[in-house]
Amino acid sequence: MFTHVDAVAGQLGRGLLLTLAMTALTFTGAVAGGLVVAVLRICPVAPLRAFGAGYVAVFRNIPLLVLLVLFVFGLPDLGLLYPLFATVTTAMALYWAAFVCEVVRSGVRAVPRGQAEAARALGLGFGQCLRHVILPQAVRPMVQPLGSIFIGCALSTSLAAAVGVAELTGQAEFLTLRYDQPLTSFALTTVVYVALTLTSGLVAGRVERKLAVAR
Amino acid sequence: MRLSRPRPALGAASATAALALTLTACGGSTTLPAASGSSGSAAADASKTYDEILAAAPVASAGQIPAGSLMAKIKKRGTLIVGGTDTSALFSLKDPVTGELTGFDAGLAAMLAKYITGKTSTKLVQVSVATREQLLRNGTVDTVFATYSITPERAKKVDFAGPYYSSGDAILVKKANTGITSVDDLNGKTVCTQSGSTAANDIKDFAPKSKVILFDGNSQCVQAVKQGRADAYVIDQAILVGTQYRDPSVKVVGQPFTTDPYGIGTPKADPEMKTFVDAWLKKIEASGAWAKLWKATLGTAVTGTAPKPPVIGSVEGS
Repeated sequence: MFTHVDAVAGQLGRGLLLTLAMTALTFTGAVAGGLVVAVLRICPVAPLRAFGAGYVAVFRNIPLLVLLVLFVFGLPDLGLLYPLFATVTTAMALYWAAFVCEVVRSGVRAVPRGQAEAARALGLGFGQCLRHVILPQAVRPMVQPLGSIFIGCALSTSLAAAVGVAELTGQAEFLTLRYDQPLTSFALTTVVYVALTLTSGLVAGRVERKLAVAR
Repeated sequence: MRLSRPRPALGAASATAALALTLTACGGSTTLPAASGSSGSAAADASKTYDEILAAAPVASAGQIPAGSLMAKIKKRGTLIVGGTDTSALFSLKDPVTGELTGFDAGLAAMLAKYITGKTSTKLVQVSVATREQLLRNGTVDTVFATYSITPERAKKVDFAGPYYSSGDAILVKKANTGITSVDDLNGKTVCTQSGSTAANDIKDFAPKSKVILFDGNSQCVQAVKQGRADAYVIDQAILVGTQYRDPSVKVVGQPFTTDPYGIGTPKADPEMKTFVDAWLKKIEASGAWAKLWKATLGTAVTGTAPKPPVIGSVEGS
């Protein structure tokens, strides 16, 4: 394996790019989706609250791998055949959105009730109250849990290898088949994953300090 | 953080993945193993010719079976004890109605039994990859017909007559696909295979411009081909013909493009058995019975004419 450093590095590099793209897209999608679902879960309209709760119940309780297999092999049977990468990233974003929703919701719940009541007393509507009063205060306690979710996103991209996406773990499988050195190729990918997640942990800490609010 | 959520950790991920995928695999066929690829009358024809081929098989003269040899023992017993399986479609599969074993391996075993004893009577002992050598060495079975790849390592423990068939990586495509007929056509196409299989390397070696996707199991790969996510599925021919046998919406095209020679295992303690089986193989290959049997079994799933049988003794270990 060490005699093929260029080929190995190139292959792992391509896998890493795909992993990074997947992580970024998944996380962005999950945060956007999670915010929407969280708003549904705390809004005053009962059917929307029920929909939000149902969404979280469904997506948080299905193992991600099962979800991936259902999306990759189930959707084409319904006539929906999208590229593998898009299918897998969508499934992961939907899955992680359920977790983001709960983080956002608990962040919002961390803001004392009096704040919302005061906002209402000032004549702010539901949307205005969320935007100007609740969310700015709710963001800080959400940073570390969101950092954990980012790490979860990054690590869960490895499951995409099981449904045919040649990201980092997928490329490691190819290397294992080619050079028959499973420990070496998995050790290499482990180092990359750990570097990725340690960095995101550090970034989350920085962001948390930046967002410090005096209460 | 909830505890029940699967934590994707590198090595463990693939193990869990394999398990979960097996449990949730879509489109796995559970129908009875009937020859769904052909219509009823064609299937009846195939089984008729299969029986005819066995009926026309040669019988050894008394002079070819020296007293005291393993063959003489088998002749006295009247039945050949064969190590094999009854679940390998087109190679050795138990017919759920008649209880008879049919397939390429089963047919050859019956022909060998007839060559020694005069009738196609065989007794099957189930073997696995782990037990084949041991059962031959302790005399439980006379011979092994079980898509048994000849390797120098195994040849240290048992003798191999043959090779009697050359398998290897073959190509499976949708029935309607006419664009892929050989491994060269895979260039520029999306090809899937199982993640634990070295077929991934073979695809890259034989068709460098193809895009390879790895899925965890056979059913995922077949599903991907049927859904159009992959143009072709490449893996050992024995696996593909079994898949085709159960699922008529796909087909196996051309002959294997890599070589995996199958041999007939015989006990090392009875070297005369290997020579005897080799001579019999040469005889049925020359008479055309080998090709007829291929046509009646593997030929029902693989397109094209019967391949040329591999040269006896051409493989290291045979």
